Amino acid sequence: MDFNDAIAYALRAGVIVSAALLFIGFLLLMIKGKAGYYSINEIASTASVVNSSYYSANTLIKGTLSFDPIAIMFLGLVILIATPVIRVVLGIAQFIKEKDWIYTVITLIVFFNLIFAIFILPSILHI
Amino acid sequence: MIKNRIKIFQFNNKSLILEKIYISTPKKKGVIQPILYFLMLILVSAISGILGALVGLGGGTFLVPIYTLYLRIPIAYATGASLISTIATSSGAASAYIKDKITNVKLGMGLEIATTSGSIVGALTVALIYSHHLQYIIYIVFGLVLLSQVYIQLTRSKYELPKEMKPDWSTKLFKLYGSYYDVVLGKEVNYYGVRWWLGEIIMFFAGFISGLLGIGSGALKVLGMDWAMNLPMKVSTTTSNFMIGITAATGSSIYWIYGYIQPFIAAGTAIGVLIGAFIGTKILVRITNRSIRYIFSAILIFLGIQMVLRGLGYGF
Repeated sequence: MDFNDAIAYALRAGVIVSAALLFIGFLLLMIKGKAGYYSINEIASTASVVNSSYYSANTLIKGTLSFDPIAIMFLGLVILIATPVIRVVLGIAQFIKEKDWIYTVITLIVFFNLIFAIFILPSILHI
Repeated sequence: MIKNRIKIFQFNNKSLILEKIYISTPKKKGVIQPILYFLMLILVSAISGILGALVGLGGGTFLVPIYTLYLRIPIAYATGASLISTIATSSGAASAYIKDKITNVKLGMGLEIATTSGSIVGALTVALIYSHHLQYIIYIVFGLVLLSQVYIQLTRSKYELPKEMKPDWSTKLFKLYGSYYDVVLGKEVNYYGVRWWLGEIIMFFAGFISGLLGIGSGALKVLGMDWAMNLPMKVSTTTSNFMIGITAATGSSIYWIYGYIQPFIAAGTAIGVLIGAFIGTKILVRITNRSIRYIFSAILIFLGIQMVLRGLGYGF
């Protein structure tokens, strides 16, 4: 299996797991009829107050472990956001293996930008 | 039961289209409405996903106008769902394209330096705009971006392949060579890119627009590659599709902390766009470049005008 296959499978796996979690979250929400303090109608609204700003990594893990439908949906979304990150990491590995140093550096810069947006910026902004 | 009904109606009375559907549906349980709403999100985003995959966009270009204009979803949630779904299109389609060997990964990765930087600036800018309740700016900018893409599409529609240009220093340094088999032309096409620096500048702007409007900004990426870097349309379209996922992931994390991602809307959208992108990639090889552009342009004009009008406070 070469790198391109590995990349293709990783992306596919990420997308499938993500879609499955999103759907499971939806089903759980339909069965339970609520998530945390919010009723189903408060969640499934065009102008809902339930959004990502209330879900940090901590609440997400706790929520998932207690089968909170919204936390599971958010986990699916997190995995979806992670797929391009994995793509970039595999890209770095590929260019190192090919000893293509210019593109190793380029891909590292792209990776830094991603990490900056995902982990560093939130702590700078104190949100 | 009656109490339930009233609650349901109060809840979604903002949406005219949704209302029509609910009226024709027996409302026995509280879950029927959310299910219908979810199915509608999936349907609308699947259609947007098909259109998006056909033209190398994330689907958001069509999704955000339809969500805000017809489903009355607040623009912050619409762009949040759209940005996330862009990743679904990109990652979903990427595996198929890599096998086709049309996507140029080096070209895409090199340009990602600019798009990810642009996306960070764009997402922070939109956070500033929303925090001052200046949503109308986003409607107008969105409409103008849609309309400007029409011009780009139509002026380039004469050529299947770019004109010959001499390789420059960046062609060698960044190894911008490649080849692919073109099904429509029925031959192996060898190509090379030029003016890498100009591509980077346009890509920063593309990333900015992506972060600002929650779209993949694929049309600008295509412009950067086929106009600035003189690459064939097929290469720029597929490479753009590869790039939009990485750009969108950068912007999404900023959207996340500001709370522009509504789980129910984003979940339905991501699933729908995935289904749409899957169907779209199957059709892609069968349509010539020119016909893609004409269909695309007509829809863009329609939605673009409506978005500008909405921003200016007229109707819709």
